[in-house]
Amino acid sequence: MSWIREGELSFIEKLTANILKAGPMPKHVAFIMDGNRRYARKCHVERQEGHTQGFDKLAETLRWCLNLDIREVTVYAFSIENFKRSKEEVEGLMELARQKFKKLLEEQGNLEKHGVCIRVLGDLTLLPLDLQQLIAQAVVGTRTHNKCFLNVCFAYTSRHEITNAVKEMAWGVEQGLIKSSDVSESLLSKCLYSSGSPDPDLLIRTSGELRLSDFLLWQTSYSCLVFQSVLWPEYSFWNLCEAILQYQLNYWPLQKARDQHHEEQARQQLEADCSCVAELLQQHGSARPAEACNRQDLLLSYAVDRDQRIQGFLSALQHKKDSFFTDLTSQAVLA
Amino acid sequence: MALLYELAWRALHAILHLQRALVSWFRARLCSWNWRLWKRAVAALLVPVALGFQSRKKLGPPAARRGCRRPRWGADGRALEKLPVHVGLLITEEEPRCADIANLVVWCMAVGISYVSVYDNQGIFRRNNSRLMDEILKQQQELLGADSGKYSIEFLNDSTQTQENHSNWQVCKPAVLSSDDGKHSIVTAARQLCRAVEQRERASKDIDVHMLDSMLRGRNWLKFINVLVYHMKLHVFVFIPLAFLILVDLNLF
Repeated sequence: MSWIREGELSFIEKLTANILKAGPMPKHVAFIMDGNRRYARKCHVERQEGHTQGFDKLAETLRWCLNLDIREVTVYAFSIENFKRSKEEVEGLMELARQKFKKLLEEQGNLEKHGVCIRVLGDLTLLPLDLQQLIAQAVVGTRTHNKCFLNVCFAYTSRHEITNAVKEMAWGVEQGLIKSSDVSESLLSKCLYSSGSPDPDLLIRTSGELRLSDFLLWQTSYSCLVFQSVLWPEYSFWNLCEAILQYQLNYWPLQKARDQHHEEQARQQLEADCSCVAELLQQHGSARPAEACNRQDLLLSYAVDRDQRIQGFLSALQHKKDSFFTDLTSQAVLA
Repeated sequence: MALLYELAWRALHAILHLQRALVSWFRARLCSWNWRLWKRAVAALLVPVALGFQSRKKLGPPAARRGCRRPRWGADGRALEKLPVHVGLLITEEEPRCADIANLVVWCMAVGISYVSVYDNQGIFRRNNSRLMDEILKQQQELLGADSGKYSIEFLNDSTQTQENHSNWQVCKPAVLSSDDGKHSIVTAARQLCRAVEQRERASKDIDVHMLDSMLRGRNWLKFINVLVYHMKLHVFVFIPLAFLILVDLNLF
């Protein structure tokens, strides 16, 4: 089964989509695709079949999202916690992933046609090497596409992602690229696995579970969370429309909360810059307090330097991430 | 055509907003009609339903025979096999009522929940901490009556309170949080780690999930729930009327 199902919406679906698109639409939707195993039990099939049906539903959902002009989708495919499941199930999921990524590599033309960029977020070093290489080939092969984005969280938990971001910032400090005083909420966000994407506007979890299970905890502070009781393999276009309606009903309060938070962030950054400048002046032994206009100039100059340091660090970090995938791809070619 | 779609969209949203307004109005009417009865019914129904536990132990004969007039929620709490240790209340209303939140805290205490954190994005309760604390103490007397003496409250925001030995009492520890307690705490911990690396006290490769976890948990329970972001991985969301959102921490069952 292909990653992207070709096809158009029915007349009623198109009509509904056009009505919904008259209001604010989420640009980035995240899915916790829960319920594959329960679906398998319900239909009296093997668990593996449940997961396969779940993948097929993902392909169908991506098509609906494209039809609704939702250009970025993030899915929770495999949690680090899932490694604790039975060896048989884990191996089955790894094998399913191998098949799907191999299929994806065969569909490069289709992906180029639709301009789909695939990103895989997580601690990929926990995966078997052959799967890492397949993933790397898929990521590198679609890197330049920019019409729509599919982020697959694989070997992922939010805690690991946040910890990794802190580790990367510490690496930056170790390399002399940034200072510890440069650490901020905004910088941490740019060091996450998902730094290439805006925060999700809408997060949908299926199967009736009312929790986030360590998925995008940082990024969904101001997202609309929708919990739906339908099992993932049974997800329908109408379920998606219902979720989008919830997003639209809550759009303005969330927007207001987000704007307030950005203002607060800017204020905190200014405060941090002021205290850094004051500390620097003290260190340089300035006996007199700086004049107001001098202080303003110093602040501006400090902010420009800080931005330059951060840009340099982020470029080095991106280079490190790109090299990881490129090295894996080279290994795969040589093998 | 675009205009027609927009009109249809506006009509759809108008209907949905009207439905929400009618439901809120109806709920408010029921509340004012018989507030006490409503509170007890909500407490008796929502806590066990919301926690979703199917199995209940039947109350043994001695409790029934004593005929003690404990509140219904107390019996519900003891009947549950599993109870969360920590409940977080996320307030989504712009003008939350102190009395409503105090009620919820007291109900949690009566059911046997040890830690309750109250969060609102505006930081209203953080700034008016003492008002909420007074309201909780007042509701404790009002709702629990003669049994209120069996419950002790330790406000985790109140550093002036002395830690007494409450080993024989049901202790409840409410805390009030705001947006400063979320990502801000992780950023502070990250800065501390980076400073340690800067001063060559630590290497970046030593940083892992357990290290960050232990820094964020800190020495007291307030810091544990301090980072709603980091610690929400297994929290169950429960949505109830009155514009509250409750988080139940599964980690601590």
